Amino acid sequence: MTRHQITRRTLLSAAAAVPLLAACGRGGGSSDGTVRFEGWDYESQLVQQNLDGFMAKNPDVKVAYTPITSAQYVRKVVAEFTGKNGPDALYVYDDSLATWVESGYLQPLDGLPGVDEVYNGIYAANAQAMTYKDKRYGLPYYTDSTGLIYNAAILERAGIKAPPKSLDELEAQSITIRAAGLIQYPIAFAAQLQDTWASWLWALMYGSGGSMFADDLTPTLAGADPVPLAVYEWIHKAATVSKIIDPASLQLTPVPLDNAMMAGQYAFNLGSRYALRVYNDPAKSKAAGAMKLAQVPSLDGAVHGTVANTRMYGLAAETQVKDKAMVLLNFLGGHTDGQPQTARFWFLQRGLGFTFKDMAKDKEITDALAKWVDPATYAALADVAKARNIVQAPWYAEFEAALQKTSQQILTDQITPQATTTTLADTATTLKKKYS
Amino acid sequence: MQRQWSDTSRAYAMNAPAMAAILLLVAYPIGYSFWVSLHRDNLAQPALRRFIGLDNYLGLLSDPAFLTSLGVSALFVLLVVGVTVVLGLALALVLNETFLGRGVLRSLVLLPWAMPGVVNGLMWRTVFDAKTGALNGVLLQLGLIDSYQAFLASTTGAFVFTAMAQVWNTLPFAVILLLAGLTTIPNELYDAATVDRAGLLQRFREVTLPWLLHPLLIVLILETMNAFRAFDTIYVLTGGGPGDATATVALLTVQRVLTYTDVGLGSAYAWVITLITLVVSIAYVGLLYRRGSFEV
Amino acid sequence: MSTIPLRYRIPWKKIVVTVLAIVFGLYLVLPFYWIVAMSLSYEPDVYTVPPHWIPSPATLDNYVSFVDPTGAQALVGSRAVAETPYALGNSMIVATATALLNLVLGVFAAYSFSRLRFRGSGVLLMVYLITRMVPGIAIIIPFYLLMRELDLLDTYWALILSYTSFALPVTIWVLKDFFRAVPRELEDAARVDRCGWFRTMWSVVLPISAPGLVAAAVFSFMTAWNEFMFALFLTSSTASKTMPVIAANFATDLNTQFTVMAASGVLAVLPPLVLVLIFQRLIVQGMAAGSVKG
Repeated sequence: MTRHQITRRTLLSAAAAVPLLAACGRGGGSSDGTVRFEGWDYESQLVQQNLDGFMAKNPDVKVAYTPITSAQYVRKVVAEFTGKNGPDALYVYDDSLATWVESGYLQPLDGLPGVDEVYNGIYAANAQAMTYKDKRYGLPYYTDSTGLIYNAAILERAGIKAPPKSLDELEAQSITIRAAGLIQYPIAFAAQLQDTWASWLWALMYGSGGSMFADDLTPTLAGADPVPLAVYEWIHKAATVSKIIDPASLQLTPVPLDNAMMAGQYAFNLGSRYALRVYNDPAKSKAAGAMKLAQVPSLDGAVHGTVANTRMYGLAAETQVKDKAMVLLNFLGGHTDGQPQTARFWFLQRGLGFTFKDMAKDKEITDALAKWVDPATYAALADVAKARNIVQAPWYAEFEAALQKTSQQILTDQITPQATTTTLADTATTLKKKYS
Repeated sequence: MQRQWSDTSRAYAMNAPAMAAILLLVAYPIGYSFWVSLHRDNLAQPALRRFIGLDNYLGLLSDPAFLTSLGVSALFVLLVVGVTVVLGLALALVLNETFLGRGVLRSLVLLPWAMPGVVNGLMWRTVFDAKTGALNGVLLQLGLIDSYQAFLASTTGAFVFTAMAQVWNTLPFAVILLLAGLTTIPNELYDAATVDRAGLLQRFREVTLPWLLHPLLIVLILETMNAFRAFDTIYVLTGGGPGDATATVALLTVQRVLTYTDVGLGSAYAWVITLITLVVSIAYVGLLYRRGSFEV
Repeated sequence: MSTIPLRYRIPWKKIVVTVLAIVFGLYLVLPFYWIVAMSLSYEPDVYTVPPHWIPSPATLDNYVSFVDPTGAQALVGSRAVAETPYALGNSMIVATATALLNLVLGVFAAYSFSRLRFRGSGVLLMVYLITRMVPGIAIIIPFYLLMRELDLLDTYWALILSYTSFALPVTIWVLKDFFRAVPRELEDAARVDRCGWFRTMWSVVLPISAPGLVAAAVFSFMTAWNEFMFALFLTSSTASKTMPVIAANFATDLNTQFTVMAASGVLAVLPPLVLVLIFQRLIVQGMAAGSVKG
């Protein structure tokens, strides 16, 4: 990386350029044909390894990969695109897609080579997450759905044979576990305020068939959909009356929660399926072998549902190397030699969920799965998972912040369930008006 | 020696490099941000961008989240600056005395200053942790609590402990300035007071305090500025929660600009912070100017 | 008149002072001690209830992992660990350069305020201070755009220039106060010897004001060392990333162990700590001189 010296000329030209700065800008990408690729820094060494393999097979496509720390990924990418300094290809979260498209950062992939094949073979929830206003913007990186993760060993010691199917059962089982003197607070959620979504809350809602919003993004929270109020009432009761939810949840972020689960400090958690791979890894987890997956407990115990998230690869709107970037995108998110190679790579290496329906029938995949989770439950969750419709709203981020805030308030008994749904519905309506 | 230039031109010539560094780099962004605050401008809705004058600012008067955060900020600044000044003064007075290990303590005082805000937040997060924190461990072993507490999970707890984390990080600066002020007080004044049989408190009030007003002013202004803008520690410790118990204006501003990409309104928030800081500084100066201890 | 013989008088003041000194000492040191202890422990020992106050068994593995990221103690996939040595170096360079640049620019400006009467001096001083009142978040995006135009993204200069502009106002303020405290007679003596204003400043004022220069340098060093937000946005690779950015990485890196994070925290504090320890006496002196009433 070259370091530029400030010459007097640079300074003077900068001074002269000051009034023109707002209008100035160069297009994204570099002039030497390299594809600039950015992603959050999950397993960046593996990403590089995968890319090296790609470049060996495609010598005419050079890829410069820059990992960005996860917590700051969205902000940095926004800053880069705003400064006309954005990458050519990049990771995109499903809940950033709408705003990034509206801001003009990404371009649709419809009609580009390989795209139709991909969309024909993936789950509907994932296709929906990567589509905005009927245009398709991404090729899938990975997906996951949220399930109930429970420590079977602890349940057994408390005399419980099967995981709970309904929220009432969950409460009863937790009380049993506490009464057996095993754990004081058997349930924990990662409830600290974060910039990412509160997956546990969404899972509880979708788990009982609710969605908080109609497809036209009007809130159904306070009335039309009975699920949210009932779920909040359960949460409130569990936290304040039965006291089975750990008050320390308000301080918990995903990584400490994982550590706590692996140390056997909690019996129940709502988490992504792929977390089980680490939970059942004897090298890392004390609870290895005992952690199991189940459907999200619902209000009536009969309905089953959950929420899916999708992470995708996107193509920058102002890229100068569109064709080469598409080759890269197809390698990463699409098919190579008829198989979704990178998706397989991520699954076999780290257990990241796949969007391709065929992979669920692949023997190699199910064998690998069986090592850490029950393949039937794993697939069942993917079948009922839905994408959140509200992420398509430009005001989603503000709503998510209000959602997390009120969930903290309800966990600490500062607000009633009724007031929660009313406040959130009002917030949604106000935001919709404000953003129009 | 020939005077070719007048004092004024020479002065500005000497200031030119500093002015260039500050104004060239900072003036444009500052002006630009004020200009943006007069617009409705969300990066995610470029089509809706338009000039709206002071509407962003006027809207703040009826924005409950913003008004709450103002209250939280005010309380936070009050608590942090108050405790910092009290502790800082006490520590400075102690360090002004001679005792065994004074040099060591003077060195230790500078320790929290060397810590970036992010590291400070992370450190206190582990100390306050509800499951494995050192504070819980100490209190339990001293018999002051029965079981581990989730300090940051209650509104009061989160607020107070976050403020204390901030105080720890910012104390050294106050101590150094106040100690420096104390060391300049001529000993003759103390001796005269002793001869007059003035008690400890009286000596403090009549000799020490007047000499401390100047450094105290600087401490107040700078600490208030910092406390209003404090972000890293609070963000890492609580993210603004639980609920909005620790959601200061600074936090709200960063959230609005970077998470919601609403740069128009976010810039307005930031300029309100600037205004408040300015008003408070002027108030400090006015208050202490009358004691005749401030000069430019 | 007190009739209690000296040897019976209880030295209340000394007792109070000593007790307070100990209490304050603990207050200042204990949190940091906890981090140091964590950094010298093995990961599972950190989660015990009640805590192990003294790491046993103790280990240097966490520090070793910075220099040998793929060695025996490999923390798979932890990029933050591999980048830490670079970040330390970058922080040192940026902070030192900021301090030096601050001194150079600040000395000239401060000298003008202390020795020359000129129109608009008060206003200029207020303008400097007011630039510090606008929160960084308000100017981060235009700053980013500016650095992009100057092609300085991910370089030392972006940070050095930014931090210099942040620290200068206070530097100038502090320096001017104690330039003023230098006795006029010394300067007049120099003038009589026919020294121009520059030589006067160089050979007379600056040496006397050394403590203040040190104080201003340390202050700007710290400002640069501790800054997070601008470092985060203006840097992207090990070419210029600084310690606070790496520390933040640790907080969210999914593969991080807390002990390694603690070790990085200790490293983030050590260089400036060593610096202030060395200059501790001069710093206090410098701040003292700056507070003297004119």
